Amino acid sequence: MVTSAPVEVDRPDVRGEEEVAEETDRPWTTIVWNDPINLMSYVTYVFESYFGYPKTKAHKLMLDVHHRGKAVVAHGTREEMERDVSAMHSYGLWATMQRA
Amino acid sequence: MIAAFTSGPNGTVLVDLRSAEARLLADLFGDLLDLLADDDPQPPRSNEVDPLAAELGLDGFGDDTPTARPDDPALARLFPDAYPDDPDATAEFRRYTQADLTAERRRRANVALESLERIKGGGRLSLIPVEAAAWLGALNDLRLVLGTRLEITTDDQEPGQDFGPSDPRTAYIPVYYYLGYLQETLVEALSG
Repeated sequence: MVTSAPVEVDRPDVRGEEEVAEETDRPWTTIVWNDPINLMSYVTYVFESYFGYPKTKAHKLMLDVHHRGKAVVAHGTREEMERDVSAMHSYGLWATMQRA
Repeated sequence: MIAAFTSGPNGTVLVDLRSAEARLLADLFGDLLDLLADDDPQPPRSNEVDPLAAELGLDGFGDDTPTARPDDPALARLFPDAYPDDPDATAEFRRYTQADLTAERRRRANVALESLERIKGGGRLSLIPVEAAAWLGALNDLRLVLGTRLEITTDDQEPGQDFGPSDPRTAYIPVYYYLGYLQETLVEALSG
């Protein structure tokens, strides 16, 4: 396995650093969709135990899924998000991935 | 009194199951194994092993590796499309994950079945943490399968309201509620 050295490119500084980092380092997202079968307590438990999120954050994400129909639960590289989506499928959650 | 999981000593969880409950759960976990076996991604292969593929851990990634969405809606729910707008990437994702995921689901159901063997005829079941985690996953898989069979597609829906009086699925509605209650108490016991 090889990696290529990063190339320095001058670019106009029109965006915030966070936004740039979002696009370069964590360009993919894992999305969990609402479904009528999974228990709310179980979904919260999965967010806590798999992602290590504190209970309050896990609970809020679960409510986002429930009320808005879906929520972004993780950001990362494509490989990281494939791992997370696969884990969510193993837990039985309805998860997909897409570019941020 | 319906069985409920409670927290036990040293990270264990406990549940008192009557013989009928233990038998029902064993039957359901067995059904789950049958369903997952039908989708067995690795039918018997020829005896010829490609040494390079074996060396690289790639044997098993042949043409028999699943790439299509399962036809059975329950299996499609257990193995959803990973990329909603990209069929090629979704197929590739299935190719690399679905066999392992099927094996993991079978492992969990087998762990649950083996633990039930300890209390044939009912009694107190004590699960160590790895067994409890397997039960949690296997119970959830069962609920996803049953819920799909019962055509539960929206929140707050009364299961089976559109079924005819002789629809055999009606018998599974109380089972679906029972499994939900059992899983709820297991989540609570594990979180406590």
